[in-house]
Amino acid sequence: MKEVIAIVRMNMMNQTKKAITEAGVDAFFAHEAQGRGKGFVNPQVLEGARQGYEEAAAVLGAKGQLYPKRMLTAVVKDDQVDKVVKAIIAANQTGKPGDGKVFILPIGDAVRVRTAETGAKAIA
Amino acid sequence: MLTMIRAIVRPEKADAVLAALMEAGFPAVTKYSVAGRGKQRGIKIGEVTYDEIPKVMLMSVINTADKDFVIETVMNTARSGGKGAFGDGKIFVSPVEESYTISSGVKETLYASEGVTA
Repeated sequence: MKEVIAIVRMNMMNQTKKAITEAGVDAFFAHEAQGRGKGFVNPQVLEGARQGYEEAAAVLGAKGQLYPKRMLTAVVKDDQVDKVVKAIIAANQTGKPGDGKVFILPIGDAVRVRTAETGAKAIA
Repeated sequence: MLTMIRAIVRPEKADAVLAALMEAGFPAVTKYSVAGRGKQRGIKIGEVTYDEIPKVMLMSVINTADKDFVIETVMNTARSGGKGAFGDGKIFVSPVEESYTISSGVKETLYASEGVTA
């Protein structure tokens, strides 16, 4: 089992929901989040800021702008991961920065509260 | 290798932590509001117990090599007063197996500073 966390644009929710349903994942939960990304910056500037150069830190700005996003979380079976990730990317890709991220995390176990089933049965 | 850092901090400290992370060279963060209680079972003020205290969750995925540095940065910024106080929050660390940037569709195993362009 894997946990798929996707951070997407707010106006992309409907098509994302549709895409992951078509990919065979019915259950997920979502909430509002705010975030910032790499900030379209040059990696060298980033590395400079990390090493403590004040000019680089000034270029990055003391405080980045946070943009409203939606965060979706779905727990899926191992063999569904690729399909879901591809569906999310296809539904959300505009090619511009700010389209979002998808993260895959391992999940130890899952329990369905109604029946106390565990493991793959709980998320089937 | 990638690692997800989830820090639960006081809402009034969130801006300071975001600024500190930016300055340290970790601009990418997601923030959302949560409510919860800790070991002290909430706050008791007079007769009333508040057990759903508002907090802010800051989530960031970073290279595993930077883990200790980021945790230290968050911890030093989010701590209130010199010694810290109950309710300053928690930091959780989990492994991330894969990460994708939607705009480019690129699967990333390491972030830009390690030589992979996004």
